[in-house]
Amino acid sequence: MQDFRSRFIKSTVVLGVAFLAIIFRLWYLQIVEGDELAEFSLSNHIRSERIPAYRGRILDRHGREFVVNRPSFDVYLLPRGADDYTKLNKALFEILQVSPERFKNNLVPTEPILIARDIDRDQLAYIETRRDSLPGVIVEINNLRRYIYGSLGASFLGYLGKISKAELEVAPLLGNDSLVGKRGVEKGWQDFLQGEDGYRQKATDAFGREVSLNLFQKNLTSKVGVPGHDVVLSIDIDIQRAVEEALGDKSGAVVVVDVKSGELLALASKPSFSPLDFVKGVNVELWKVLINDKSFPLLNRSTQGLYAPGSVLKMVTAVAALSEGTVEQDTLVYCPGRYKFGRRTFHCWKREGHGEINLKLAIIGSCNVYFYKLAEKLDIDRLSRYMKAFGFGSPTGIGIEESRGIVPSRRWKQTEYKKSWYRGETLISAIGQGYVSVTPLQVAMMTVALANGGTLYKPIIVRKVVSHDGKNVAESIPEVRGVLPPMHREALVAVRNAMIGAVNDPKGTGRAAKLSNYTVAGKTGTAQVVSLDKEEEGYKEYKGHAWFTSYAPAENPEVSVTVLIEHGGKGGSVAAPIARKVIEAYRSLEDKRDKDDRV
Amino acid sequence: MIGFDRRALSNFGWTLICMTLVLLSLALTNLYSASYQLGLLSFKKHLLWVSIGLVAMISVSFVSYKFIQQYSFHFYVVFVLLLVLVLFVGKEVASSKSWISLGSFGTVQPSEFVKIPIIFVMARLYSDDHWMESYGFVELLKPALVVLVPFILVLLQPDLGTALIILLICGSIILFMGVKKRALLFILVAVVGLSYPTWQFFLKSYQKERIEAFIDPFNDPLGSGYNAIQSQIAIGSGKLTGKGFKSGAQTQLRFLPARHTDFAFSVLAEEWGFLGAISLLLLYFLIILWILDTASRAKDRYSIVVSFGVAAMLFWHVIINVGMVLGILPIIGVPLLIFSYGGSSTLTAMIAMGVVLGIRRRRFHIPDEVVEIR
Repeated sequence: MQDFRSRFIKSTVVLGVAFLAIIFRLWYLQIVEGDELAEFSLSNHIRSERIPAYRGRILDRHGREFVVNRPSFDVYLLPRGADDYTKLNKALFEILQVSPERFKNNLVPTEPILIARDIDRDQLAYIETRRDSLPGVIVEINNLRRYIYGSLGASFLGYLGKISKAELEVAPLLGNDSLVGKRGVEKGWQDFLQGEDGYRQKATDAFGREVSLNLFQKNLTSKVGVPGHDVVLSIDIDIQRAVEEALGDKSGAVVVVDVKSGELLALASKPSFSPLDFVKGVNVELWKVLINDKSFPLLNRSTQGLYAPGSVLKMVTAVAALSEGTVEQDTLVYCPGRYKFGRRTFHCWKREGHGEINLKLAIIGSCNVYFYKLAEKLDIDRLSRYMKAFGFGSPTGIGIEESRGIVPSRRWKQTEYKKSWYRGETLISAIGQGYVSVTPLQVAMMTVALANGGTLYKPIIVRKVVSHDGKNVAESIPEVRGVLPPMHREALVAVRNAMIGAVNDPKGTGRAAKLSNYTVAGKTGTAQVVSLDKEEEGYKEYKGHAWFTSYAPAENPEVSVTVLIEHGGKGGSVAAPIARKVIEAYRSLEDKRDKDDRV
Repeated sequence: MIGFDRRALSNFGWTLICMTLVLLSLALTNLYSASYQLGLLSFKKHLLWVSIGLVAMISVSFVSYKFIQQYSFHFYVVFVLLLVLVLFVGKEVASSKSWISLGSFGTVQPSEFVKIPIIFVMARLYSDDHWMESYGFVELLKPALVVLVPFILVLLQPDLGTALIILLICGSIILFMGVKKRALLFILVAVVGLSYPTWQFFLKSYQKERIEAFIDPFNDPLGSGYNAIQSQIAIGSGKLTGKGFKSGAQTQLRFLPARHTDFAFSVLAEEWGFLGAISLLLLYFLIILWILDTASRAKDRYSIVVSFGVAAMLFWHVIINVGMVLGILPIIGVPLLIFSYGGSSTLTAMIAMGVVLGIRRRRFHIPDEVVEIR
C-alpha cells in the first residue's frame, strides 16, 4: 500500500485554489461590478415608451380644421425578445405584408424597430389574440395625419415623412421613427407643429411584453408631452375649393391674394398628389412613380413652376417706360403686325396689326409692336431694375418651397452665358419672352402691387400660430418688400385703367373675365414655348402657356386672382374664364359672409 | 449481497447526509423560484427525483463494495451498450441525441449515469495492478481505452460537456494515481496536437460559436453571447444580499436562459446575492472535502479510487458549471449536480455519494462477516 498522504494534501490545495478563484470572480461580479450590472439589469427590463406629441392642427383662416390627427396602431419588433424572429414571426410578417429581410441588417438588441405603421383592425386582432406566441412584438398607438378635405390644398399643405439622419441631428429629441414635415406648410412650420414627445417607463420581460408584477413597477417614471401648436392659414377653404373646381383637370396653377395684406386666400397647383399616399411615410415604389411622372405631381406650380410671363409682364414694361419718361400715355405707335429690327423681323400676335394706337390700347389689345418700340428706348438694364422692383428674380419669402426665377440683364447674361447682350433680346424680354422666367406667385404679387398702389407685399400663407391652450405664439403681420416711389404712382393709374379696359373694353383680350356689377381689371398673356410658326403645327406641347392675372373690384381692389394653364394656348380664352369663376365664387362667398355677419 | 451490521449506524456518514439534505432544500427552493411562473410541474417532478435519489443513496450505501468491485466491468459494459443504443433510438433535445424515453415517466440520460461505472472500472484497474507505483505510457493504455470508448460515444451524441467531464474525472484519477513524467509530457503534447483537428473537424458549429462567444460575448450579444451576458448581469445585479426570493428581475422576467437547469446558480446569485452564492459554494466545498477525507481514510486501493473519482466528478461539475455562468469558462452545458433540475444528473450524483457513504461506513477494514445472499 503506497502512501497517498501528500497526494491528498495536493488535491485539497487544488480544490481550495479552484474554489477561491470562483469566489474571487463572484466577488468581482457582485461586489465590485454589482452596481453597474444592476443598472444593466434595470435597463434590460425597463423600457421607455415614447409617447409622441400630438402634432398641431392646420386650420383655415376662419379656424376650420384642415389637417388633424387620428390614432394609428403601429407594430414594433424588439430583436432581443424575438430569438428566431424570421421563423417565429413568419406568419406575422405575412399578415402585415412586410418582408423580414428589410430589418435583418439594422438590429440593435435593445432598440425596438418599427415594422408596420397603421395596421388595420384585422391585423390588430391577429396580433392581440396571439400576444403570447409573438414574443418581441409590441403594438403602440401613435398619431397620423388626417386630411379632412382629401387632396384639397395638398400642394401647399405638403406631407410628413420619416425623419432623416440629417434632420435627426438637428432635432435630437425626436425619436428615430418620428414623422416630420417634408414639404409645404408641414415642413415650413415643422418646429411649431411638432410639439415635445413625452415618455412612459414600463417593465417588460425578455420578450418585450409589459409585465404587471408590482415588484417591478417601483420607481418607474413618465413625462407628459407637450402638444404641438396649431397653425392658422390665411387660406379660405371655400375659396380653395372653388379654385380647384374651376381649375378642373387642367394642369396649371391659381393664386388668390388679399390685395390689402398680401395674405393668400387660395393656392392651387394641378396635377397634384394625394396626401393619403404619404400618411404612413413615403413609400419607395410610390415615390419612384411620382418622381418619374411626366406631369410632375410633386411640383407646386404656383410657387416652384417657372414660366415665361408673356404679355402679363407688359404692365412692368409700361410702368418702367412711363416712369422713365421714354413714353407718354398718349404716344402713338403704328402697328403693322410686325417690327423690323436690324436684319430680323419681330411679329405681333395679331398678324394684320393693331393700327395706330396709344399705350392704353396697346395694353388692352396686347400689342407687341408697341412694346418693342418701348423696349428699344428703355434698354434691358433699366427694364430689369423695374422687374426686380416688382419682386421678380428673387424669392417671395412665402415660407414653403419656391423658385426665384430669372430677370435677365447684361451682367446676368455675362456671368451666366459668358456672352454679351443682343439688343434684339431686349425686345422679346419686354413682352415677357426670352430669358425671363417667373412663378405664378410672383405674377400675383406684382398684380397686388399694381392694384394697391405700389406696395409689394411678402405673401402670407400662415396668419398665426396658436398653442393648444389658445395662446398666440406667433402672428404674421403684412410685410412690405418694397414700395414704388411716388412719381411712379401716375404710371400705375394709367396701367390700372388699361387693365380695366383689357377686361371691359369690347376689344380687350381679357373679355372672358368680365362680370356684371363687379369691375374686374386684368391682363392676359400667352407664353410661347416655341416659335409662332412651329406653334401652328398644333402639337399640344408646342402650345403656349396661358396666363391671366387680375384684381377686383377695380374701384377698391380687394382680391387678386392669377391663373396659369400649362400649354393652354391663349390666355384670354383659357385662363381668363377660370379667373372669372374664381372671382365670382369669391364675391358670392363675401356676400354670404356679410349676410351672416349681419344676422 | 446486502450486508448489515450494528456498527453501520454509528459509522454512518451523518455529516454527508445532513449536508446533502441542506443542498437538496436549497435546490428545491431555488427551482421553485425559477420555474413557478410556468407551473409547478418541474418542481413536482424534481421532488420525485430527489426522493428516489435519497432512497437510492441510502440503499446503495448498504451494498457491499466488494460486490461492486467484482461486477465493475459488467456495469460498465451495460452502460456503454446503452450509450450505443441511445445513438440509434435516442430522443433528440436541443440537437443532442442524449435521452432514452421511458414513456410517461420521462426520459433518462445514460451519459450521466455512465460516469459511475467508469469510476468503478478505473478503480478496478488500479486495484488489480496494486503493485504499481506510477504509470508509464504502456500501462496507461488500458485506462485510456476505458475512457475513450464512452467519451467518443458521448461526443457523437453530441454532448461536449458530459464528454469533457468524463475526460476530466479520469484524468484526475490518473494524475492522482501517478504518471511517469515522460508519459505525462507525451499526453500533453498529444492533447495540444489534437486540439486543432478537433476544432476543425469534430466540433459542431454551435459548439464553436459558444467557445467564440466565450472569448468575446459582446461580439454577438443577441446570439451565442446572449446567455453569458444575461447570466453575468443576473449574478452581478444580485450584489451582496440579493434581490430576494422570487424577486430577481433577470430570472422572473426571463432574461436568464435555462434558469432551472444550467443557469440555476445564476438564479441563486441574483436572488440571494453574494452571501447566498458563497454559502452554496461552501456547502459543495465541504461535501467534496468530506469525500476526499473518506478517500484518505479508506484502507484499500479500490475504495480510494472510487471515493476520489466521486470527489473529482462533483468538483468538475461545480467548477465548470459555476465557471461558465460566471463567465470565466465557455458555456458548454454542464449541470451543477444536485442543484440543477434534472433527474439523471441528480440521481447519478446521489448514487455516487451513496457509494462513498458505504465506503465510509466500512473504513475500518472489517473482515467480511456479512451474510451473503446469492
